[in-house]
Amino acid sequence: MNRVLRDTGVIAKKELKQLSRDPLSLALTVMFPILLISIFIVISSAFRDPNVIPIVVADLDGSGESKLLIDKISLSRSVRIAELVQTEEAAMEAVQSGKVIGAIVIPEGFGNKIVNSKEAFIVVQTDNSKLTASMMIVMAATEQSEALLEDYRTERALKLTAVEVVSRPISGRPMTGDLILPGYLGLITILGAFDDAVNAITRERERGTFPRLALTPMNLLSIYGGKMFATLVTNGLRTTFVLIIFILQGLVIRGSIPLIYLTTSLMAIFTLSFGLMVSTRVRSSSTLTILEIAMTFPLFQLSGAFSGPETLAPGGRAISRMLPWTWGNEALRRIIYLGLGLEGIGLDLIVLSASTIVLLPLATYFSKRTM
Amino acid sequence: MNMPRLKVLRDVLAVITNESRLLRRSRSAILISLVVIPLFFTSSLGAGRGRAGEDYSTTAKLPIAFIDQDMTAASGNLYEVLAMSKDFNMLIQGYTEEEVIATLGKGGIFAAIIVPKGFQKNLLAGNTAYITVYYDDGSLGMLDVVTSNIQKNIVNFNPTSKVIQTFQPSGFARIQILQKGTKFSGFSVGLTVTMVMVIVFATFYEIAGSISRERESGTYARLLVTPISLGAVMVGKTLYDTGLNIIRSFIVLGLAIYVYGARLNTDLATVLISTLLIAILTMGFGFLVASLGVGVRAVVIIEFFLVLFLFAFSGFIIDKELMRGITQAISTILPWAYGIEVFKRTILIGQPLTSLTYQLQIIGLSITAFYAIAYLMLRSSRERLIR
Repeated sequence: MNRVLRDTGVIAKKELKQLSRDPLSLALTVMFPILLISIFIVISSAFRDPNVIPIVVADLDGSGESKLLIDKISLSRSVRIAELVQTEEAAMEAVQSGKVIGAIVIPEGFGNKIVNSKEAFIVVQTDNSKLTASMMIVMAATEQSEALLEDYRTERALKLTAVEVVSRPISGRPMTGDLILPGYLGLITILGAFDDAVNAITRERERGTFPRLALTPMNLLSIYGGKMFATLVTNGLRTTFVLIIFILQGLVIRGSIPLIYLTTSLMAIFTLSFGLMVSTRVRSSSTLTILEIAMTFPLFQLSGAFSGPETLAPGGRAISRMLPWTWGNEALRRIIYLGLGLEGIGLDLIVLSASTIVLLPLATYFSKRTM
Repeated sequence: MNMPRLKVLRDVLAVITNESRLLRRSRSAILISLVVIPLFFTSSLGAGRGRAGEDYSTTAKLPIAFIDQDMTAASGNLYEVLAMSKDFNMLIQGYTEEEVIATLGKGGIFAAIIVPKGFQKNLLAGNTAYITVYYDDGSLGMLDVVTSNIQKNIVNFNPTSKVIQTFQPSGFARIQILQKGTKFSGFSVGLTVTMVMVIVFATFYEIAGSISRERESGTYARLLVTPISLGAVMVGKTLYDTGLNIIRSFIVLGLAIYVYGARLNTDLATVLISTLLIAILTMGFGFLVASLGVGVRAVVIIEFFLVLFLFAFSGFIIDKELMRGITQAISTILPWAYGIEVFKRTILIGQPLTSLTYQLQIIGLSITAFYAIAYLMLRSSRERLIR
């Protein structure tokens, strides 16, 4: 037993030494999480403070109410009236030619209907190939219409019966832009561990050093154990970097930090087993890396990193639940957001561990056969 | 046809034949390039978003608690409206507020709708009545799907038909927003992203990766010292990869149309031309990266960041027009962003390709610049090698 442990330590040390000698891999280990999260921060800042969207407005009514609505729209923070046009056709043309993203047309009789307490309408034409911008124009039109009606009601001292929905998160945390940060940690863990599998097994096989390693007096358990331990160390490093960035970003981690490390470690070991399994069929390290990147897109969609499995289409929900990574990502969110302990994420950790227990011996067996 | 032109054509054909032979010999390359990437990307999109036009409600089969603290006709009506809608098939009653808060986040229920005491009283007095939605914020996106479905159904809610005739009493002005613009499914939006990603992802590796691999294995130097001109090598590789991209595009489109029911708002020729423009742009960039003399691993790393940059800055996640500062600058200089715009405008809203001259000019200029710089750099490295 002592010998197995000693050999495992030796292999782990060799792996880490090899990593430190390869500046590219070392830089990737360090830079990868930082770059990925930096890009996320840039995107989320664009979402928080978007540019003002140019629109055109056609006032076919010319009443006091329509002018008031235009005034309100011009005060909106999300849209900017680039031009006032005379006809509906000119407004539509401006959108279709790509000059502006949206147009608001106030039809004739608009003011009259408001004054007579009837239902009026406005037409919002948008270039729907710009999804977010279109949505923002519709939202701005709705908000400013509501504001106009509110003024009208206040003026006439009218009260409106309505039902308002108030939402409360169970963590008690107000809505912030950091909702998908735990998903990033999950994705970095998965991609990092898959890269470790490429480094640990395939590249060694390409260099021809793997059979030599297998021919040493060390048993296979120590070899794989050592590689796994090295992955755990690099994973720990990556997790630390990511957590530091999270904290600098103002994310409050409500749960236990050791539990986060435990979850990412389990995710990393499962991914390493998966990588080991794939490497028995795909021998080239570059092909394996390409496969790793190819996996990123489905993982974005289905591993629960950026959308909860429950919010997917029924088919996707089932697939998502079958992926052990989904359980890991869920556990990370529950620890970080809800501050849940083992009692809350026990099932997630069991699924991750059980999947590893099934996959690892299989991967080792098939890997042994390829030698 | 004169002799030099014939020779160039023969050389180009020889390069294409060589590339095809290499592909045929590598089973994993065929699998990854033509099966795994198109299949992975398209089917994960279909699984995540559902078929095009598929009508499903994300909250329909989610256990959601309904706690009626008011116990009036109005709150009962609200329960009926929600339960009868197709959005809340699993409304569970019998929980208390405390029990719900303790259960949420542990997987049993995903949200709770609480109708507080005084709900009907407020409505009858003409005041705003509130309902509270507790949601599990450990489950990403849950708040949006639950509240949007409540708000969608609450429009049909009539507090007490006996007491108040309509929810929106007459005598109040309302403004309806009529939305105009081409409508398409979420799957179709995803399809444009998927197509571009599949093309960029596979094409870049096929060009830059193949040259780097040949360089590492030593066959690239041998290819350079043959009488085949560098131009013929580049054209040959480009034509070969164009062929692969046509096959790939048909696989993705076939899956999207016949399996997931996607509908294109333009003709097939426009889709193919747009696809090939993005492919040739990526090939040019691939040649440029390969001309730097980088290894396969570096190519893979560059590919990863290229895909990441495209995802972040080319209008996939957030429209280019909404970006400002550094993000806008990056988005403006990324030629793929214009290709993606062409793709979205043609496939999604059916705009003719000929009306997108500005975007096409930028793509054309970028392709020319990539190819020209790559050619000059590869030629100088060839001259160094021959000397």
